[in-house]
Amino acid sequence: MLLNFDRLGGWKWILVGITGLTAAFLVLPIVFIAALSFGSSQWLIFPPPAWTLKWYEAFFADPRWLEAAGTSFYIAAIVTVLSVLIGLVASFGLVRGRFIGKEGLRALFLTPMILPVVVLAVALYAFFLRIGLNGTVTGFVIAHLVVALPFSILSITNALEGFDKSIEDAAVLCGASPLEAKLRITLPSISHGLFSAAVFSFLTSWDEVVLAIFMASPTLQTLPVKIWATLRQDLTPVIAAASTLLIVITIALMLLVALLRKGLKS
Amino acid sequence: MALLTERDNTTVMGKIRPVRSRNFALTVPALLLLVVFFILPVLSLLLRSVLEPEPGLGNYQALLGSTTYLKIFLNTFSVSALVTVVTLAIGFPVAWALAIMPSRLSSIVFAILLLSMWTNLLTRTYAWMVLLQRTGVINKTLMGLGLISEPLPLVNNLVGVTIGMTYIMLPFIILPLYGVIRKIDPAILQAAALCGATRWQALTRVLIPLATPGMVSGALMVFVMSLGYFVTPALLGGTANMMLAELIAQFVQSLVNWGMGGAAALVLLVVTLALYAIQLRLFGTARMEGR
Amino acid sequence: MTAPFLQIRTLRKDYGIVTAIRDVNLTVERGEFMTFLGPSGSGKSTTLYILAGFENPTAGDILLNGQSLIATPSHKRNIGMVFQRYTLFPHLSVGENIAFPLKVRRLPKTEVDAKVAKMLKLVRLEGFEDRKPAQMSGGQQQRVALARALAYDPPVLLMDEPLSALDKKLREEIQHEIRRIHQETEVTILYVTHDQEEALRLSDRIAVFSKGVIDQIGTGPELYANPSTRFVAEFIGDSDFVTCRVLSARDGRAELAVGKDMTISGVPIHGSAAAGSNAALMLRPERLSLKRGQTGGNGLSATVTDITFLGSNIHVAATVPSGEALSVRLPFGHEATAGLARGDTVSLGFDPASAHVFCA
Repeated sequence: MLLNFDRLGGWKWILVGITGLTAAFLVLPIVFIAALSFGSSQWLIFPPPAWTLKWYEAFFADPRWLEAAGTSFYIAAIVTVLSVLIGLVASFGLVRGRFIGKEGLRALFLTPMILPVVVLAVALYAFFLRIGLNGTVTGFVIAHLVVALPFSILSITNALEGFDKSIEDAAVLCGASPLEAKLRITLPSISHGLFSAAVFSFLTSWDEVVLAIFMASPTLQTLPVKIWATLRQDLTPVIAAASTLLIVITIALMLLVALLRKGLKS
Repeated sequence: MALLTERDNTTVMGKIRPVRSRNFALTVPALLLLVVFFILPVLSLLLRSVLEPEPGLGNYQALLGSTTYLKIFLNTFSVSALVTVVTLAIGFPVAWALAIMPSRLSSIVFAILLLSMWTNLLTRTYAWMVLLQRTGVINKTLMGLGLISEPLPLVNNLVGVTIGMTYIMLPFIILPLYGVIRKIDPAILQAAALCGATRWQALTRVLIPLATPGMVSGALMVFVMSLGYFVTPALLGGTANMMLAELIAQFVQSLVNWGMGGAAALVLLVVTLALYAIQLRLFGTARMEGR
Repeated sequence: MTAPFLQIRTLRKDYGIVTAIRDVNLTVERGEFMTFLGPSGSGKSTTLYILAGFENPTAGDILLNGQSLIATPSHKRNIGMVFQRYTLFPHLSVGENIAFPLKVRRLPKTEVDAKVAKMLKLVRLEGFEDRKPAQMSGGQQQRVALARALAYDPPVLLMDEPLSALDKKLREEIQHEIRRIHQETEVTILYVTHDQEEALRLSDRIAVFSKGVIDQIGTGPELYANPSTRFVAEFIGDSDFVTCRVLSARDGRAELAVGKDMTISGVPIHGSAAAGSNAALMLRPERLSLKRGQTGGNGLSATVTDITFLGSNIHVAATVPSGEALSVRLPFGHEATAGLARGDTVSLGFDPASAHVFCA
């Protein structure tokens, strides 16, 4: 009875109530920020005394915001490409390979996901101080790649495990060389895994704060670092405007993923 | 080309040359990246904790012998525990409801969960800083309703950290728990009812025990993630309730004390890995099957 | 003398210390439908996979038109294969699937299109070329897989239990299709199955695999009438076994004592047995006759334990005094079945030439 929604009786309303409140709790802050970014109050008073676009104007007028956003995008794009490529090759090794210590290696590849980022950030910061990579795009890319790769490997190994190798064998028997069979048959068949690897890798880098705070220099910073630095001074509504833009990008990405999933199904 | 090496049991005149390891080479780029930029830096940081400023366990004595630091450890654990309990208390009914709701309703909630998860962490934290500030909406509303006469201090303290962290951790407990409850056969609960169990008995003796593995696993995950969290505690918490991740950052950034930073990192790392080992021990095989 | 079309010579495959197949020798004629029949783990699929080039043999050779195939990688063997699981390329349409082997061979587009159309016609799926595999039933998918495997006119088509994922009715339907296509294309087919009925229905000849070796090769009737091992006797057709004692054996025929009072001679014997040793006498349910009452010396006396009506047949289960169970299949309405009841004593007769005795 407890797992039948219509036969829960009074409990049904308790559950629906809690779920509704939780959903509100999760969505309202995002809505508020979006609303406040159009409010005129410097102190983020709600409801705003008047509506305005001046925070967006401030955002787009300040080259440092745009530069930070550009840097973020540039780094995230490189991280995405490398993460998918390295992850793809490693996933073939993990799924199709036969060697001693394979399971241990798989676990090792996922550890950056569970390790507290601050430990990695401090460790890499120390290492980069020595080899001079702090404040460089290379440094950012390497740091983000370490935390993005596990997501990539996870998505691609999952897809590859779900792909029946007989299909690739069939392509080989049809006359395709092993490499050709992989490129023309296997990769398109696991494209959903490659796609989610790309999305997760991009978002991991794009949203990453902790590593970036340590890697950043006065001349090179990502958008999250810029927000962080601004936040530490005050809660200016420009951040609300920047946040709203980020939310819009997030929603666009989510819709894209949902659409592609639908496209894959049909 | 690396991809070609897959079938490398080459045959010459019907004789087979057995190859010990197949395809290991494909994992080398990833392995190299992790060894050079993950394992070695972390190990070297940990090493510094016993080498700097001079060889010995002085850093650990200082770290574990001082009430200031012990207070930070205690605070880290209690905040994490509090967040875990609150997320679990909210997460269980929500996951339960999601598992049985008509999909029209549940898909809305899922969309909200995903939106919240995917929204930039700083954006979410910023939102709570704005909402919880003295002149924020929450204080304004409570005062408007006449429930309080003075604004409550909601930010830069335990309340702020707990709300902010709960907000971030909720999806991490709801989604796996949803999966667990979804897999429970409703017939089991019908059987319980036929056996004469009241709703309350069916809940406490059947549903909750069946969902317990999911709850423990989710709770462990939230607890471990909370232990090492940096951004949200740094922005929503006050100086009085600093957490371990902030302490590590402070040692390195402001105090340039690598020895102490390494020691604190080791403590965090050991606790994290130990809890993960427990998690793997308890649920490792089940998780593998789920994949 | 011309070389045989396809020849498998003393093929052997070891996985570590486990031997999957050994001493597999086989010659297949052009256009023949040869089935590898055996239970799982008997080595039939391993043999097929070596033919496909997915496994390398530990020893032995495979010759196609006198040329060894072993050193040729899979993609250059020009062999067709239909797999047990559905292996259509999920992201390509039916037409693109069939065109794939032609495109990797870089055939001109007009030729590819013509061939795809011809293949779709062959498997009777005209009009399906734009469908995606996910939109097709299992039976349709296997027919497309067949079309894809035949599109490049391979000299040999391998089929690895292609119908095992389908339900019985569909399976029979596609078996007919395969027969028809075999006749139309005259392609040489090597077919793996564990289903004896399927093997009998489709094949020109059957190789029965057991524990990594071929027990016997022959046409269906040969295997049924003259099984050379107890395993073949059990696997092809229904059979029961009764312990007997070999009195004498000469020229492949034996004189046997069964039970206390029955002696029969002229039973084909397989394997060598010293006079006086025990052996297993195989009896087929449909080759037994049944009489009510005690025997007069030239029948096995048995007690009826169960009678089952199976439509056109009546199935009588009986035990001989030694406790061994036998079954008898009689046509519906057979006079001996009228009024027959459990516990009745009956006499079971048979033609010695239709029985076989296997020595341990």
